[in-house]
Amino acid sequence: MKTSLTVTRIAHACQLIEIGDLRIVTDPWFSESATYHQGEPLAYDVASLGRVDALVISHEHYDHCNLDALVAGGFDLATPVFGPGTVTALAASKGFTRLHTIEAWESATLGELTVTATPGQHGVHEVTFVIKAHGRAVFFGGDSLRVPELDEIPARLGPLDLAILPVNGLCIRPAGLAQVVMDAEQAAALTAALNPAVALPHHYAFHSGQLGDRIITRGDQDPRHYTDALARLAPHVTTRIVLPGTPVTVP
Amino acid sequence: MKITVPAGSLRPARTTTVALGDVEVTLDDHDRTRPFLVLHGGGGVASVRGFANLLAERTHARVIVPTHPGFGGTARPAGPATTRDLAATYIALLDRLELADVTVIGNSFGGWVAAEMALLGSPRLSGAVIVDGIGIEVEGHQMTSVRGLAPAELAKLSWHDPAKAPRPPAVGGSGPSPDLAALASYAGPAMSDPTLLERLRGLDLPVHVIWGESDGIVTPEYGKAYAAAIPMSVFTVLPGSGHLPQLETPEELLGAITDLGN
Repeated sequence: MKTSLTVTRIAHACQLIEIGDLRIVTDPWFSESATYHQGEPLAYDVASLGRVDALVISHEHYDHCNLDALVAGGFDLATPVFGPGTVTALAASKGFTRLHTIEAWESATLGELTVTATPGQHGVHEVTFVIKAHGRAVFFGGDSLRVPELDEIPARLGPLDLAILPVNGLCIRPAGLAQVVMDAEQAAALTAALNPAVALPHHYAFHSGQLGDRIITRGDQDPRHYTDALARLAPHVTTRIVLPGTPVTVP
Repeated sequence: MKITVPAGSLRPARTTTVALGDVEVTLDDHDRTRPFLVLHGGGGVASVRGFANLLAERTHARVIVPTHPGFGGTARPAGPATTRDLAATYIALLDRLELADVTVIGNSFGGWVAAEMALLGSPRLSGAVIVDGIGIEVEGHQMTSVRGLAPAELAKLSWHDPAKAPRPPAVGGSGPSPDLAALASYAGPAMSDPTLLERLRGLDLPVHVIWGESDGIVTPEYGKAYAAAIPMSVFTVLPGSGHLPQLETPEELLGAITDLGN
């Protein structure tokens, strides 16, 4: 019998992934600022999060690596942190003690849990991850661009039960509309290459405020663009648009 | 890719619990309105009222228009109050109203107050629009002093087409009006803050600076310096408009505010 695999979006790219009794939280973001809004309700705050066995963090941006909110909320700083060197250095400076630095194609194992960093590309150094435990495998795409090496994941790391991908194609206006996140079409094409049983979009409700959306960022806030593209490119992959706080169980 | 979602449709519902005597009601609040705070200049609240109404009608926004304490016959603050104090008062107002993602729009002196609000770093404020604002000191582009000017002279400086200026109401009595006294007490005799330009360089909020091309009180060059000081700013010149675009070209001002980035 397969070990249960359930994922619940807390908001944005912050996901609670439960594999059996292992509870893993990705890219934590629990506060808001003037120009960073989740655009969707937070399913949990730090206090209601419960036991967390590992934090898996793709890069150091505020909306993915909100360690200050964790510290302020009394989060257990002995919780293992998996991430690239940029993240673990920051985590060390905030008082986290169990740090696992992994760069692309490197793995770290903690008991039943193995986290492998996979390539990523963004405005700053970023990795994505394949998270494995008890025979289940999850791809976590953070808010990376689509990079060709990601297509090698099934060949190198085996089949995936679940893929979680960003879809808003975020562009930075002051940088000449440079794209820093994969868009719906690119995410669907990557999903087709990864061929998971279930694929979920995330990282789309985010906005920079009513003026910030016009001056700082431009992003696609409609996850249906992803599910529509996936229906064309990989109709056999199951996908769902889920609200924060709704658990999705992967068969 | 075309973004087809109507503005604000993916905003979160806020869940709150309201205590009503012995009963507690938990409710989801699906509020899709985007709040604006509109701040008037020396012309008083009447100079922005029509535009605020236009903004609310066209964008289905919530538009809040305070009268600066001391204007329009309202009570002046008990103690001395500067422009910065007024900005802090309005941040406290946003806290009291529990508003988020607020864009503050200010004209003339109101633009200065908007800049000072932005500098206070409140997470409730997510952007500022400065329309022909005052308050900075720009070498070679001083603000034109309006002290003691006859209404016709003031209209000539404030309007692209002075013939469009409303005729000032005949006021009885002599000496400065209460509005001007209130303005002088907030803005000080120089009507500017020599530290403002430098402080704006550290601002990390998006700001849209909009200027009437025929503004004879603070010129478009002055406006350009305002925008240049702010790291995340966009500068827009409105043709056929003066110091009061919300009165002279309200449709064009609304277009500049809402069309940015499209």
